[in-house]
Amino acid sequence: PEVERAPIKIRPPMHEYIRKLLYKDLSKITTEKVLRQMRKLNWQEEDTCRYAIKSLTRVWNVKYNNVHCVANMLAGLVPYQENVGILIVDGILEEIRLGMEINDPKYNQRRVSAAKYLGELYNYRLVESAVIFKTLYSFITFGVSLDAAVPSPLDPPEHMFRIRLVCVLLDTCGQYFDRGSSKRKLDCFLIYFQRYIWVKKSNPTWTEAHPFPIEVDFMVSDTVETLRPKLKLSTSQEEAVKAVEELEQEYRNKFLGALSIQEVDDYE
Amino acid sequence: EGAKKKKEEGIPTKVVIRRLPPSLTQETLVEELGPLPDHDFFLFVAADMSLVPHAFCRAYINFKNPEEIISFKDKFDGYIFNDTTSSGKKMEYPAIVEFAPYQKVPKGRSKKKDTK
Repeated sequence: PEVERAPIKIRPPMHEYIRKLLYKDLSKITTEKVLRQMRKLNWQEEDTCRYAIKSLTRVWNVKYNNVHCVANMLAGLVPYQENVGILIVDGILEEIRLGMEINDPKYNQRRVSAAKYLGELYNYRLVESAVIFKTLYSFITFGVSLDAAVPSPLDPPEHMFRIRLVCVLLDTCGQYFDRGSSKRKLDCFLIYFQRYIWVKKSNPTWTEAHPFPIEVDFMVSDTVETLRPKLKLSTSQEEAVKAVEELEQEYRNKFLGALSIQEVDDYE
Repeated sequence: EGAKKKKEEGIPTKVVIRRLPPSLTQETLVEELGPLPDHDFFLFVAADMSLVPHAFCRAYINFKNPEEIISFKDKFDGYIFNDTTSSGKKMEYPAIVEFAPYQKVPKGRSKKKDTK
């Protein structure tokens, strides 16, 4: 019988060359070599520049274990091609957002790679922690319903993928949120994250016959244990919700405190 | 320089227009938007066709006067762009206008000249 073959995509030689460098040659030991070749590209030429940026953004074409090599190589390129770094960060953040909007399991691996890449971009100082936290919060809030009576199509009750994305991002770069304001920011995030998980766990969709997946519990405790070995995870939804309320009350008080000092200043 | 100072004060100035039709071009977008507000950076990004039917173009604008962002958003957030698919079907694309999650903007030139 005749087998229909998938048409082979014919690409211009320069595109093939960029793909070969990034998707075939690049590995831990070749990072320097690939960087040298990438620096030699004609970045003034619009099509080459556009294609290189596109290929550097599509990190899911790289082996998962080599994602950090792309970030490492990019960190070496950015001092010469500053704009490239910015456009790639923009592209990855769009990828992450659009992934939440489309929410098709066929893109799951691609989304995991994108989250990991963002974490590596932080490790190589190509984005600041604020971008990481913004993304973490978007995973647990974008199109999310905290009310079991009003399920969200973007994050249905049995949908565990957002938890996975949070863990991937934290596993990649969370270790550096260990001091100063980023330490505090991670502590706050973990409080909200636990509430998100408990809202999931408490959903009536889970029954004795169809329990909440235990792998998810393991995944979360692995991630949290590495980052905050002493942290005790909430053991009920009430506890998780209370922790968020206490945190918010603390911030309200601080805010009101700051406000009244301001008013005193105004009078003087 | 105004935008730069605003950025240092932590005021967001970089705006993204998302979910634009996949076959849109920069020329058509600029035409459709009309006279652009004062800006020091404009970038059009073509759609990623591997995501069809969820392929969208997007564009970034860095405003010189952040005060103008609200009226821009009022005008174009939800604005319907029209497109025709390859099979001839007419499609509507409501745009989303919001602050870009990453506020950094390319400067004119790279710091180091690459001698390679």
